[in-house]
Amino acid sequence: MKAGNYAVPEGLHYSREHEWVKLEGKLARVGITDYAQSKLGDVVYVELPEIGKQVKQVTEQKTKEMEIGAVESIKAVSAIYSPLSGAVKEINAALQERPELINTSSYNEGWICVLEPSALEAELKQLMDAKGYAEYVKKL
Amino acid sequence: MSYRQARWVEPLIFELSKSGRVGWTLPEKPQEQINVPKELLRKRLELPELSEPEVVRHYTRLSQMNYGVDSGFYPLGSCTMKYNPKVCEELAALETASCIHPHQAEETVQGALEIMYKLEQCLAEIAGVVRVSLQTSAGAHGEFVAMLITRAYHISKRDEKRDQVIVPDSAHGTNPASAAMAGYEVVTVPSNARGRVDLKALNAAVSERSAALMLTNPNTLGLFEDQIIDIANVIHDAGGLLFYDGANLNGILGKTRPGDMGFDIVHFNLHKTFSTPHGGGGPGAGPVGVQKELEKFLPVPLVEYDKKRDRYYLDYDRPHSIGKIKGFYGNFGVLVKAYAYLLLMGAEGLNEVTEAAVLNANYITRKLLGVEGYELKFDASGPCKHEVVFSAEPLKRETGIGAHLVAKRLLDFGMHAPTYYFPPIVPEALMIEPTESESKEELDRFVNALRMISEEARSAPDKVSSAPTATAIGRLDEVKASRQPILSWRAYRKSAKE
Amino acid sequence: MGYPYIPNTREIRGQMLREIGAANIDELFADIPPQIRLKRKLKLPPAMSELEVKRHVQSILAKNNPFTQMLSFLGGGVWPHHVPAHIRSLVQRSEFLTSYTPYQPEASQGMLQALFEYQSMIAELVGLEVANSSMYDWATALGEAALMCARVTRRQKFIVPKLISKDRLSVLRNYASGPGLEVVEVGYDRRTGQLDLEQLRAELGGDVAGVYIENPSYLGFLEKQGDEIAAAAHKTGALFVVGVNPISLGLFKAPGDYGADIVVGEGQPLGNPVSFGGPSLGIFACRAELKLIRQLPGRLIGATTTLDGKARGYCMVLQTREQHIRRERATSSICTNEALCAVAAAIYLASLGPRGLRDLAELCANNASYAIKKINTIKGLRAPIFEAPHFNEFTLNCDDTRVSIQKLNAKLLKHGIQGGKPLRTEFPELGETALLCTTELHSRKDIDRLIDALTEVLGGRR
Repeated sequence: MKAGNYAVPEGLHYSREHEWVKLEGKLARVGITDYAQSKLGDVVYVELPEIGKQVKQVTEQKTKEMEIGAVESIKAVSAIYSPLSGAVKEINAALQERPELINTSSYNEGWICVLEPSALEAELKQLMDAKGYAEYVKKL
Repeated sequence: MSYRQARWVEPLIFELSKSGRVGWTLPEKPQEQINVPKELLRKRLELPELSEPEVVRHYTRLSQMNYGVDSGFYPLGSCTMKYNPKVCEELAALETASCIHPHQAEETVQGALEIMYKLEQCLAEIAGVVRVSLQTSAGAHGEFVAMLITRAYHISKRDEKRDQVIVPDSAHGTNPASAAMAGYEVVTVPSNARGRVDLKALNAAVSERSAALMLTNPNTLGLFEDQIIDIANVIHDAGGLLFYDGANLNGILGKTRPGDMGFDIVHFNLHKTFSTPHGGGGPGAGPVGVQKELEKFLPVPLVEYDKKRDRYYLDYDRPHSIGKIKGFYGNFGVLVKAYAYLLLMGAEGLNEVTEAAVLNANYITRKLLGVEGYELKFDASGPCKHEVVFSAEPLKRETGIGAHLVAKRLLDFGMHAPTYYFPPIVPEALMIEPTESESKEELDRFVNALRMISEEARSAPDKVSSAPTATAIGRLDEVKASRQPILSWRAYRKSAKE
Repeated sequence: MGYPYIPNTREIRGQMLREIGAANIDELFADIPPQIRLKRKLKLPPAMSELEVKRHVQSILAKNNPFTQMLSFLGGGVWPHHVPAHIRSLVQRSEFLTSYTPYQPEASQGMLQALFEYQSMIAELVGLEVANSSMYDWATALGEAALMCARVTRRQKFIVPKLISKDRLSVLRNYASGPGLEVVEVGYDRRTGQLDLEQLRAELGGDVAGVYIENPSYLGFLEKQGDEIAAAAHKTGALFVVGVNPISLGLFKAPGDYGADIVVGEGQPLGNPVSFGGPSLGIFACRAELKLIRQLPGRLIGATTTLDGKARGYCMVLQTREQHIRRERATSSICTNEALCAVAAAIYLASLGPRGLRDLAELCANNASYAIKKINTIKGLRAPIFEAPHFNEFTLNCDDTRVSIQKLNAKLLKHGIQGGKPLRTEFPELGETALLCTTELHSRKDIDRLIDALTEVLGGRR
């Protein structure tokens, strides 16, 4: 699926802050979308969360507890907000050596972390499916 | 295009090194044995070995691949890149200025103390404050000290719950950074549609937790905060202090004073308004002035004058002072230059400085409004002060070419780009501060260059997107530079091997 | 008459006003509320011509006694050295002098490469791989180092030696006050001046972010236990910070080679005049570890290539640490630093080379050795007060005479000699002690002159 020039793969859930969620059994793999990476430009550094960190699902009012890291280009820093509440189980160490994976493979090798969601059913309702996200992006 | 910067493929100085060469001489050979255990001595030191002419040629070539105010137009917003009078350089280099030690007996440095004392008086008068510390080395340093004074003040009033500092969203990055360094939580207030501080939002943001509000006036958009009296009342009624970032003082000299607007603490950038050279990033000086109530917290020592004995002295007897915030008394070499500048200009001269600077900025504004591709995001109805922020958003929308590339192409015209990543509230911002040092012809050339670039963006976009080509070097891989940082010759050699 | 620095005359300004449709200049200031309009002229000295300013300022400065015209033994954080003439002529080149921060690398390769070379030479000098392109001075660099240690280790305590300059300590405390860091002083051995290792180990718990020593010490002696202090700090997860006079590193082991994670210091002696204590040059370097580099304050210049990969180039890197991007989450608020002083330092180091710097350091230390030897022949004087090897500064004690350091210095001044810095206010436990410094500016004759004056003032030899 596409939204203009941006890839929007099916089977994933999407947040308004341009994160994607892939459900893997009881866990959820998280990353940022193609639209987000193209707006950020070349990523030079990724700040990953600590394993075990408790995060909250992002709302309009963004707080530190909702952050699961940050992505840096040479001229800007963007916080990454968690699409779901839960605990950080795994982080993508490959991003330390190769932050450009976020640009080249935002849905695959550029994944950021894996969460153990604490309120999956309720919170999934806040996320969009591929079609919904594509519509959302087209309007931006 | 009449501009072409020199280009040398100049190796790193380490690569020019040849063992045995030396670029200096020592008065006498060491004679005595010094009694130091062998294990404390170093075995090797790798520094370049060159003769004096080689060193001179290397750095002369490097200087040719650089650009200063003396090279051409340098309209960096909020930096006040004005001309630096050379007599000021001469004076600071005199033996009587450069070869004095801060701990010399006071009677042997009366000249230095006198200059500091008189400079302080001038700055206090210009800003409408009571006393000024000359100890701070730079603007951000002055802002940091202002925050320390703020905290000392509130603690003295036993007001321990003030842990927030308010900053407008248009503020220079050093403001929130300095407040955070001093331990404050930063609260940002938005600007309104007129580009000024939104009074309603400010009212909502102040509380008993507000320690201070940091403002610059004119603000970073070059607009005068005409509601400043109300703004001052809001923060004062809430019990907080009002801090003035002096970066934009060039826009109001002789017209109004921060002290009269209600500011409690004022900092100055001597390397901006007061014409000391920027030096590629320093040294500067960022003195901090305060009103009576805060005088006792100023860093120690202050310079005092004993009328009876007709002598100047360093006053350390200040029990409420926050202490020291620099090793010695400040960047004296810079202070001398600023003092000389004030003597060259006088009150009338400073008035002319501001009038000419403000007129130059307004002139550019009127002319640029007539050029396609650039627009004013805020308030085109009233005048700006010494700087103006245009947005290249229309150009970006139409051609994909925005402020960043416009700035790069400007370099090919022999002009330094305006600031373009700032302020954050204007997309594709071009922050233009011409200063009073520019002639009308130069301003016309600048507007014309922006017009040409706008046309090129439409008709020959490659010319713009491949810029600059007239500088010593073209676009650099800044992404690679930050992804795999090579920060020294050691690291460079290591990476070359890999 | 017009102003030489304002090209647009009144006439031209009148023309410009007409072109923009303004009746007069006051219209451009009409938005300033009348209550705050300045209704009088600023009370400043009247404007003078360049000739008059030159004469006037020169006459004020003539009231100073430069140490080049008398004999001075002052050091203590800013040291008098000979600045080779070519340094000044190079840093006064206006392409360097009147440029700003090299945000546009394509037009600023000169400054960028010069600063990269500075970073490189400092790195070699201190034995670490990463150095930034300057801080304000040693004291503020120390303050920032403490903050960096706290950020990296997430701990709140910072240990310093009791024998630290009190001015530097005051600056450090101000920086520490922001995040509420606790600064703890560790004592010294009264005989040797060396850091009290036992006390250090007792203070080192899981809450210490960094341990700081100065080597040479503020009082001139060398700290021999560098390795042990490093080990003790690292064992408990604290960082090891060393403060230096860079000239000493022409001779002595680099702190990076005995375990320092961060090195700070005063770069002024490298090609910059004393200038009453400023401009100065804060040295700041750290080990090449990502978790340290990311927390480094200040500007960093990195090497790269052009986009097509064909040519080498330099640019500012890792700017996301800095205030203009990270704002309140920046590693420091520092923006303007001491860049031109750093370029002077690079030129100085390149001109001296390793041999020159070693010879210079040896000469400075030699002169101190000679002075110490001679001072000890004078009745009532003792130098140094610590039994340890010294660099070019040493303590002189006159408790056994009936004269205070203050009185001694006043008498020396009558002989045209500026004595050492009195240490009584900083370290009352050391009695009547002063800190003296010798550099290559002092000849043997100069030191003999000091000895003769001291002898005369104190009335006799041993």
